[in-house]
Amino acid sequence: MADSNTQVPVTVLTGYLGAGKTTLLNRILTEQHGRKYAVVINEFGELGVDNDLVVDSDEEVFEMNNGCICCTVRGDLIRIVGGLMKRRDKFDGIIIETTGLANPAPVAQTFFVDDTVKAKTRLDAIVTVVDAKHLPARLADSHEAADQIAFADVIVLNKTDLVTPEELDAVEATIRSINRFAIIHRTQRAELPIAQVLDRGAFDLDRILTLHPDFLDGDDDHEHNEDVSSMSFEVEKPIDPEKFNAWIGVLLQDKGQDLLRTKGILHYANEDRRFAFQAVHMIADGDFIGPSKDGDPKTSRLVFIGRNLNRPQLRRGFESCAAD
Amino acid sequence: MSQSAVANFLLQSRGESRDLDAFVVAARFSRDGRRVGFALGDGTVRLVAVGAPGDWASVTVHDGAVLDFASDPAGDGFISGGDDGKLRRVTGDGTVSDVASFGMKWVEHVATYALDKGKGLIAASAGKIVRLFDQAGQQLKELTHPSTVTGLVFDGKGKRIGASHYNGASLWFVAAKTDTPRKLEWKGSHTGIIIHPDGEAVVTAMQENALHGWKLPDGQHMRMSGYPAKTERLSFTRNGKWMASSGADAMVLWPFFGGGPMGKAPLELAGGDGIICTQVACNPKDEIVAGGFADGLVVVADIGSSRIVPVVPPEHGSISTLAWSPNGTQLAVGTETGFAAVIDFAER
Repeated sequence: MADSNTQVPVTVLTGYLGAGKTTLLNRILTEQHGRKYAVVINEFGELGVDNDLVVDSDEEVFEMNNGCICCTVRGDLIRIVGGLMKRRDKFDGIIIETTGLANPAPVAQTFFVDDTVKAKTRLDAIVTVVDAKHLPARLADSHEAADQIAFADVIVLNKTDLVTPEELDAVEATIRSINRFAIIHRTQRAELPIAQVLDRGAFDLDRILTLHPDFLDGDDDHEHNEDVSSMSFEVEKPIDPEKFNAWIGVLLQDKGQDLLRTKGILHYANEDRRFAFQAVHMIADGDFIGPSKDGDPKTSRLVFIGRNLNRPQLRRGFESCAAD
Repeated sequence: MSQSAVANFLLQSRGESRDLDAFVVAARFSRDGRRVGFALGDGTVRLVAVGAPGDWASVTVHDGAVLDFASDPAGDGFISGGDDGKLRRVTGDGTVSDVASFGMKWVEHVATYALDKGKGLIAASAGKIVRLFDQAGQQLKELTHPSTVTGLVFDGKGKRIGASHYNGASLWFVAAKTDTPRKLEWKGSHTGIIIHPDGEAVVTAMQENALHGWKLPDGQHMRMSGYPAKTERLSFTRNGKWMASSGADAMVLWPFFGGGPMGKAPLELAGGDGIICTQVACNPKDEIVAGGFADGLVVVADIGSSRIVPVVPPEHGSISTLAWSPNGTQLAVGTETGFAAVIDFAER
């Protein structure tokens, strides 16, 4: 099993052109935080920083020959991670900037599909920078803008000075309707403490448990439409791993195209450790993580972010995974 | 290898080794076989005179990591590609000079071929571009591919150059007046390439833990699958009878004779421990193959008898490179954690 202490944390930076991605990247690279990052970029020249660990790359999205139509990976990242591992001692983390129009799924799936990448790195967080003023227009004219928000663990809601407080609240509500689990930071000129963006450990899912349950289970009026929405479900009883695997396997196979991200923390019957489950479209992965704190309820929780989510069906499905 | 606990490893009696503190990207022998170059992840090359153990001279060649490394086709040193975008020459005495610059792009693959009368060819790739040079560094061609080049190799005669990439491989004639590649197509991500010594086949490694091949000249497809891990290294025996491959818990050798490899079972050597074989290198003279494993074990196997000789114990990190000297009497070994060794197989 891969050792999370020696794995290099990877931060993926997404967001539309003009949202402030490069500003944030420049901030990360110039701020004195005592850490060194290898940065993979696609639009060289915009970056105002001289850094010998900046890697210029063409985004190369490859289909996998595994019979799964939505399984795509970033071939360039597989190569670059391999190359960077030859001088592993020269940096503390990797930051990957995607182009503005990029669908985040291939980047995320790369960390599930390639054994070397999986062994040597861990996806720390997907950070999406959005422009408070132009987000509504972007959402109206493209799939990718919603997907970038859906995939985010951290959202930098930038350029807040260009909108009224009412507009800002409306934009934040829109973001929440797509992805209610991401942490949102309101910024101007992408100014925020770098620690809010890097080394979040967001992808390890623990944070899902710390969100307020009432907030998670609020009403959802986006159940049967093309918009991206998010839902979470809880089961109090221990989970039967065989039942869960059978159910989630069929679900991802059937609905994987619509399910952008699935993540969960499961308490299996007769197992102290918790099982962290996650999937991007049809590609799933899981690992045992430490036990919950003494006294914490052993509630299993599963989160879906995607299109056409059927709440009653998902709820019944997850509940049927309870151990007898 | 259960016998390794009691085995007599050749490293102890016939090896010269060092801890170099950086990932050993590639070990190569100079064309005259008198030197070994160990190219490292810290951008240095360590030069070792064969048979005269002393100081291993350290030469800084790149500002970054060396990514690929080959013997100089016309000299006593090496050609080195780095993630600083530079293609450089290191002579046997440690002099470094530029061959070419690729700007911001990593120089990921380097291949060389020695011709007669001190002439030779140097090929290097950065992104989708392969540039071909003569031995003096004069650019002969620039060849563009549909996606990033993932492997680069000359054929046995130096007439053609093969490059693997997404959805297949391209074969180019070195001396062609107009550059149109023979396209070998197969859907998917191809991550490495080798050409049969007699030019009878091209084989690529694939992202999905399998190999793909094309018989030449007809282009008939070959599929070789069943690997638990990605194949990092392919190596043909001198006469092209066998192709050794990494990526399984044994050295996997496919027969390229008697109608093979299609419909034939491969020969598996030095397996049984469940440890992935990461590197293979066929001896340039005899039907012998060296194999390196993820636990650091190196063995040499006689293909005919399947007899295994233990060479390096599993103690120094995952094997990242293996290379035989041109006369087949010396084996160079490098690991991910910076261990490097030269082992003497000459008759005494």
